[in-house]
This record gives sequence, structure tokens and C-alpha cells, in this order.
Amino acid sequence: MKRLFLFLFFLNIVLAVNAQKYMTKNGYIGFYSHTPMEDIKGDNNQVVGAIDISTGEMVFQALIKSFHFDRALMEEHFNENYMESDKIPKSIFKGKITNLKDVDFSKSGNYNVTVEGDLTIHDVTNKISTQGTIEVVSGGINANSKFKIVPEDYKINIPGVVKDKFEKSLEVTVAMKYTPIANK
Amino acid sequence: MKLWVKIVLFAVLVIVITAICVGLHKFNLKHPDTAKAKPDFVVAATVLQKEFEDNEGTASSKYINKILEVTGTIASVTPADSTHLNIALKTGNDMSSVICSFQNITDPSKYKTGEEITLRGECSGFLLDVLLKNCSIVVKRK
Repeated sequence: MKRLFLFLFFLNIVLAVNAQKYMTKNGYIGFYSHTPMEDIKGDNNQVVGAIDISTGEMVFQALIKSFHFDRALMEEHFNENYMESDKIPKSIFKGKITNLKDVDFSKSGNYNVTVEGDLTIHDVTNKISTQGTIEVVSGGINANSKFKIVPEDYKINIPGVVKDKFEKSLEVTVAMKYTPIANK
Repeated sequence: MKLWVKIVLFAVLVIVITAICVGLHKFNLKHPDTAKAKPDFVVAATVLQKEFEDNEGTASSKYINKILEVTGTIASVTPADSTHLNIALKTGNDMSSVICSFQNITDPSKYKTGEEITLRGECSGFLLDVLLKNCSIVVKRK
């Protein structure tokens, strides 16, 4: 009896801890840049993302080769010339919501958050800070953000001819629909 | 104008026009249609995931950038937006699947969990799951 009680006690802790963690394997990260010749747009719907609502920690991981471009040639250039995805296949963000106390995860609604952390692209890690929203919905949590990054900061070399036509920064969009890990 | 000059000019013109056509064709080239493409490998979802789980390096050099024809049971269907859809196939590991991304499926309700399916897509590698992109359906069985 005592053993059963202990077992239930630990099971309860495990479930309670799990309920604090949410994840998705179908998250979206896209980027966009306008040039006079054409718009550059890449979409990735296979981003892995996790959030721990007790600490505010967030992690994203994406395969560079999962970015889709309408033009096959653009996708080839992106992978081979700019991101060198055969050598550096992944991009990672690890960070934290800095104003976690402003979010009530027990109440549906939209909350503005600031996220700070390390973004690693092309094997170069930079500290970033960005604004975003956390939307508490029934059965999950949605996270959205838009921010700019400068390819040069990540040692992504854009050749001179193309560079002049290029905006210095790219707009990155992040959209996650998390579900509790316990349900997976 | 001398005849040889005319011939040279004409030849130059032909070369320039050809170069422009080839350039434009390459620039506008779409992704290979995986529905019609000949697959490089025909493999079951469970086998594919196991190969990546056992040795990611070997499986990566074998499969990445290749067109795979994969058969498996649908674990989940997740619409990303109105035209994008991810279908996950079950494997021997509950925590890891084969996730296939479709660009042009507008009717996610056609695909249901538990159905067996054969699809083709380009392998982009392994995160927690094996990821395929530009997928198309080959056969669907109940």
C-alpha cells in the first residue's frame, strides 16, 4: 500500500512537470527580403520548438534544408552558396522570456513578451532580443514573433553584385502552435 | 558588310539568345515534381527512421538531397496554413517519426490517422524526426 502511494506520488510529480512543457514539431519559421529584382522568401514548416512555462525557457531547432523557396535555383543558392547546409545543417535558438510574470498561462488571451537568447545560424552565435506574443488557447500555447537579422552578423557572405540589390537585413517570422508534451 | 562579318555577328547573336534562354529557364526552374520523379530509394518509414537513429552520419550521406519513396502508417496530419500540410508517419520509436511536408495539399481531411500511405519526397535530414520536403502522394490505402 505504501509502495502504491509512493508510486502515485511520483507519477503525480512527473505529470505535473510534464504539464509545464509544451512542444511542436510543425513550427513555422520564414524569412523575407525585398529586392528590386524579386522578393526573397523562404518557408520552413518543420521547425521543432519547445517551451517550459515554469521557467520561460524556449528552444527552436530547424534544418536549413527544410526551407522551401518557390524557385528551385534560389533554394540551391541558399543551401550551397550562403548557408553551406551540407556542412552546417542546423540552426538553433535557445532563450528565455524575460517578463514571464506578465503571462498568465491559466487564462486564455494574448500576452506581449520579450525574448532574449542565443541565435546560432551558419555556426555563428549572436545574442538577440525580440518582442513577441504568447497566446494562451484551449489545449495549447501559440507563440509569434517578427524580427530582423543581418546576414553579415552570421558570416553569410552575399556576393557584391547581389549585395547592392539586397536589403541589409532580413525579416524573420516565427509562428509556433505548441501542445502539452504529456499528450504526445 | 563582308560575308564573314555577317556570319560572326549572326553566330554571336545566336549564342547570346541561347545564353539568355538557358539563364531564364534556370532562373524560373521549379522544383522537380516528386510525383513523377524516379525515386533514388524505396524504403519503409520504420527502416528509414531506424537508419537515422542508429547512425545519423551514414544515413545523412545516403539519403539527404535524394528522392525517397516511403511507405508507412499516418501518425498525424498537421495543416500549417491553407496550402501547406505535414503528414507524420509512424516508426518503431514513439518519439520519432518521418515528417513529410506538402506544398500543395488543400484538403487535409482526406488523410486520416491510421491509414497506410506511400509518398515521395526529398530528404532534408534529421532533427528529432526524419524530414522530407516537396512531398507528393503515390498511393493511399485504408
